[in-house]
Amino acid sequence: MTSEDKIANDLTEKFRSLSGKIRVQRARRIMAEVDKDSFEEVLGYAIKILRFSILCTITGLDERQSIGLIYHIARTDGIVLSIKTSVSYEKPLMNTITPYFPAAEIYEREIADLLGVEIAGLGPGNRYPLPDNWPKGEYPLRKNWKKNASANNIIKERTDNA
Amino acid sequence: MFTPFLHILVFPGFLFLVFAGLIAEYIDRKLYARLQNRVGPPFFQPLADFIKLTSKEDIVPEEANPRMFKAMPIFALTATVTAIFYIPLWSPKALYSFNGDLIVVMYLLTIPTLTYFLGGWYSTSLYSKIGAVRSLTQLFAYEVPLLMCILAPALLANTWSLSEMASFYENHSGYWLFNIIGFAVAIVALLGKLEKVPFDIPEAETEIVAGTFTEYSGRLFGIFRLSLDIEAIVGSSLIASVYLPFGFHLKPLAGFLLYMGKVLSIIAIMSLSRSIFARLRIDQMINFCWKYLSPLAFLQILICLIAKWGLYR
Amino acid sequence: MRKVVIPIGPQHPALKEPESFSVTLSGERIMAFSARLGYNHRGIEKACEERTYIQDVYLVERICGICSHAHSTAFVQAVEEIAGLSVPERALYIRTIIAELERIHSHLLWLGVAGHEIGFDTLLMYTWRDREVVMDILAELTGNRVNYGINTIGGVRRNIDASEISDILKAMDILEERTKYYIQLAKEETTLIKRLSCVGILSHEDALSLGAVGPTARASGIPRDTRKDDPYAAYDKLEFKVITDDHCDVYGRTLVRLGELMESYKMIRQALKEMPTGPISVKAPRKIPAGEAFSRYEAPRGEDVHYVKADGTDRPERVKVRAPTLANLQTVAKMLEDRQLADLPIVIAAIDPCFSCTDRLISLREPKKPDKTLAWEDLRAYSIEWYRARGIDFTKVNRKISRRN
Repeated sequence: MTSEDKIANDLTEKFRSLSGKIRVQRARRIMAEVDKDSFEEVLGYAIKILRFSILCTITGLDERQSIGLIYHIARTDGIVLSIKTSVSYEKPLMNTITPYFPAAEIYEREIADLLGVEIAGLGPGNRYPLPDNWPKGEYPLRKNWKKNASANNIIKERTDNA
Repeated sequence: MFTPFLHILVFPGFLFLVFAGLIAEYIDRKLYARLQNRVGPPFFQPLADFIKLTSKEDIVPEEANPRMFKAMPIFALTATVTAIFYIPLWSPKALYSFNGDLIVVMYLLTIPTLTYFLGGWYSTSLYSKIGAVRSLTQLFAYEVPLLMCILAPALLANTWSLSEMASFYENHSGYWLFNIIGFAVAIVALLGKLEKVPFDIPEAETEIVAGTFTEYSGRLFGIFRLSLDIEAIVGSSLIASVYLPFGFHLKPLAGFLLYMGKVLSIIAIMSLSRSIFARLRIDQMINFCWKYLSPLAFLQILICLIAKWGLYR
Repeated sequence: MRKVVIPIGPQHPALKEPESFSVTLSGERIMAFSARLGYNHRGIEKACEERTYIQDVYLVERICGICSHAHSTAFVQAVEEIAGLSVPERALYIRTIIAELERIHSHLLWLGVAGHEIGFDTLLMYTWRDREVVMDILAELTGNRVNYGINTIGGVRRNIDASEISDILKAMDILEERTKYYIQLAKEETTLIKRLSCVGILSHEDALSLGAVGPTARASGIPRDTRKDDPYAAYDKLEFKVITDDHCDVYGRTLVRLGELMESYKMIRQALKEMPTGPISVKAPRKIPAGEAFSRYEAPRGEDVHYVKADGTDRPERVKVRAPTLANLQTVAKMLEDRQLADLPIVIAAIDPCFSCTDRLISLREPKKPDKTLAWEDLRAYSIEWYRARGIDFTKVNRKISRRN
């Protein structure tokens, strides 16, 4: 058995709810779909027991009904586990993973700025990457975001401020 | 009645120094460029830069003290130009001299650094202030070894006048060889005085933009730059007259050419060091000056004292 | 002296691209450091969703001017994985060769910038002079000095012929000799060592927990290199060492980069020798089937990561890019703790923050012949003619586009 299959088996044995939701895409790429409630448990297990010690990045996706978040974590032997979870579109809320990866802060801020996911537990700090006077409620990476309408809003807000 | 004015304004005073300074800047820049495998500027570049700067607008920051801000470049220029009158250039006699003019020249050469400090401080920009504090900190590091190593030849010559020192060494040929260590120390200290690499800490571009000169522009900046160029000439002339005191009896033209040769070779040594070193940090610079430069200067004094005791016994 | 806060950026001589840092100083000592990023945000990820895959190849290439090949390769790798294309061997070798040439030019550029940041301009002038050798090779192979445009979905766009191989080998010999000189310089020049060693210290543990990548991590003794751990292109067939160093400071990062230069010369020679013959690309479908892929690439600055999701149309559903600098910038605050202001530029520069370098026109002049430099309008007219001669006319399409707008 390859180590990718072994990791997939390990995960399904430990978490029954994951059976059928783990897919070995190719050598060194594993994809897992996890619901939001068991996400933290799975992440902790992958980090501590399966030794996925590197955080590559966090991808945010607009999936129309929900917002998907993919945490790409890697091992030193090159295997990447992408744990996907989703939060509701109306009230997107996610816990921070900075206790596991201090470096995750910037990726979480990016998701907060571009997709409007509220990250609970994130300390104060500068926003990233949008400018400070960016209008509230405008999340450019959402599919229903139209650049022209928002551009007008931004110009309006700037002139109001001035 | 008329001659002193000619001396002060034309030769060897202001006009001569301006041209010598610009030539020195050109040689420095060209040599630096050639050492770095670049083409370098054409010969008129320093003059063109100066003319360009004088034609630009003078901007005084709103927060700055305008009187101090405007006065400082003039002070720097006057102090450096004044110092040249007490230094013997190509004859053993300087234009003016009295016993103790050595100290006066050192004092006059310190004034530009003080004006950099005050100019930077009164321009109130943060970068200028940091640069100003740095140039003052640096002053305390290089000034002591510089003064000590200039005193040593004076001790040997038993006089405090630069002109009398020059005639002493002229009459006792070969004595200047005692002062070789002091020569090296003085050149290093002069690098600090002129704020050149590795001691360009007060105007470290990548940290504090242009340090003291960040807020200066136009004519005022042009005068500051000119005074730096002239300081390079005056400093090199001082070192040449103290440490390379030979050839003073030559005919005027030959003497003048020898003098220019001495000064320009000191400038060339400085551009060489500029191109082979990285900029030090201020703490490293101070460590270096107190740990190595001052003891060396002290050694020079000891050598001169022993030589004096041996020679006059 | 009381505490002062000085701004470094968004515009500052030490920074080659806009980013805003603010530093709290007590005298010369740094008490606090904070960064405000995002001044260079151009919305490329969103723009990718509105363009076709082939347009995106050229768009992601323009994320960075220095590691442009890194981004385009990472992107096409992901798309090829989704589409299930098997890229010809020769194309993989060509990608690897360009990638290593890019690493050489990037590391030489870094060395010069590092020299400038510590006030050692001679090093800047020397390394950038030598960098021209590799820039000329890149221009010869791809037609461009930066933003090479050699990648396409399913392979590469240009082949390497025998005369180009001999040119590359000649250039490698020159560069290897120069690099040996720089290694000697780094080991012997006192002021350089003084300014670099014990500056910007990042311990092994901190580098691990803060997720440092690339030379920054390797200089803290972490043998992490995507080329070795997660091989792509032709790296699994090449022999090379992962250079690490235990200095944990800027000096270590310098040595790592110099060591990597020597490895790159070796790899390019090996790749040129073992490169198989055959086609350089396969035909890619315009519409990519639904799917997703995650692609990693060891850029000169560290691991570059692309995630692509396809939905079966000719445009991607989502493209996510994580450039190495974003991972490394988070270590800077740690490196600057309780350091001097004078160390700040070199510490920031030591992670090699990505800055774009402008392209320039090489004008080839032969004596007696008229100057053949083309202005923008001439170039445009020339390209229209070139395509028209091959039976492709863009005039109608252009008119349609302008009407739609």
